[in-house]
Amino acid sequence: MSQRDLVAELRAAHLTAPPGLRERVRLISVEGQPAPRRITWRRALAVAVPVAAAVAATIVFTRPTHQANRDQALERLAPATVHGSAASVPAPTERAAKAFTVPTAPDRAQQVGATLGLRVATAGAVSDAVKRALAITASLGGYPLSVHAQSHGKTAAAMLTLKVPRTHVSEAITRLSALGSIRQEHVDVTDKQAGLNTTDRLIARLQRQLTTLRAQPTTATTTAQIAALVARIEQLQRGEAATRRATHYATIQLSVATPQPTVATHHGHGRLHGVVIALTWLGIGAVYALAIGVPVLLVLAAAWFAVRMVRRRREDALLG
Amino acid sequence: MTSRRPAAYNEQMTFAQAAEAHLDDVYGYLTWFTSDRFTAEDLTGVTFERALRLWHRFDPDRGSARTWLCQVARTVALDHFRSEKRRTRREQLAAAPEAVDPRFGEGLSAELESALARLTPGEREVVALRVLLDLDAGAAARVLGISSTNCTTRLNRALKKLEEALNVAA
Repeated sequence: MSQRDLVAELRAAHLTAPPGLRERVRLISVEGQPAPRRITWRRALAVAVPVAAAVAATIVFTRPTHQANRDQALERLAPATVHGSAASVPAPTERAAKAFTVPTAPDRAQQVGATLGLRVATAGAVSDAVKRALAITASLGGYPLSVHAQSHGKTAAAMLTLKVPRTHVSEAITRLSALGSIRQEHVDVTDKQAGLNTTDRLIARLQRQLTTLRAQPTTATTTAQIAALVARIEQLQRGEAATRRATHYATIQLSVATPQPTVATHHGHGRLHGVVIALTWLGIGAVYALAIGVPVLLVLAAAWFAVRMVRRRREDALLG
Repeated sequence: MTSRRPAAYNEQMTFAQAAEAHLDDVYGYLTWFTSDRFTAEDLTGVTFERALRLWHRFDPDRGSARTWLCQVARTVALDHFRSEKRRTRREQLAAAPEAVDPRFGEGLSAELESALARLTPGEREVVALRVLLDLDAGAAARVLGISSTNCTTRLNRALKKLEEALNVAA
């Protein structure tokens, strides 16, 4: 028998399902047609991907950039420093309200230090602020310890170290902070009274020892001990006096500067700048996704192939 | 040798229509695959129960309902073979397995029935798909999960084996 005849005979085989089976299948099919699943993973993906892209683009578009923040800061600053003249300095009540108040106790020895960073619009305003700061310091009974100022083109900066009587430090900070926009402020108060009290008690004890030694007969040993005690007492008294002097004046570090020049290229951005930024971020995201996803996909593909091969071999063994 | 139906036919077909239209095909395929009509009847019922549950997954664009039903039937048959293998292995320790009298359809000669019975299930299923059900190589390959070339090779080997068996019997 040829293969053609064989195929013809095989095709001639007639095989019909028995009536019992036909009825059973009919009953199965009339049990109910399952409703088609409306949300498939493909449809969900087709919706989710554009939505995710839209959300990402919205975040990128609406995110305030550093440049915008700087512009807003300049806009806030500009009305306060027109022409950089002394008359254009903002009202003290408005600016001073932001300044710290220094909690000092006049009856205690306290070391007060303050740092004040101010910003003004022009180099001329920096110069005026320095002059006014020195005048304020002098009017409060203080003195400048150091003054450093420099200018470069339209930018300028000055750094002053001012000594102001501790009793007037709050007033000094209030008046100095009115010279510009406060960008930095730091106040440090250290109580020295406890240390001074300890030193006083130590000096009193040493003086009692000294009195006792002086009452004893004079020998070489007692003379040496008296000399050592006197030196020690003088050293402690000098230290105490230095501390009291230091607490009498507060140190104020005042810096006045113009803002950094803005980058002129900002206004060169076209309308599509935001789109470019969004695409850039999408590109960065895509690169990261590729860098992470490709190895994972390769591993998954290898696992899938291995599972498929094993399953096929088992199937062949089962049907062989 | 083509079994392609118009796309509109598949798109409009409900499960009941598909079951009615392809019951004999599935039953025939399973009969040849298992070489046991009673087992094939049971498996056909299981196949259509499972197909009803999975009908939402059927995509007419990816193949005909007949091909899809044959895929479901094959999965059911493989599950059956696996469980049978375990059961046989267990029972062989106690008693010899029952001999089954294979019948592959009306109109086949006794020699051909005997030759078909000597084929492995894997060989019989490819003959059933390509010759009995008249599926093309692509559709049969999709059911078997292999390439079209591999499917054709398997068919040729199975037919050659049948031919040799018949010649020896003659």
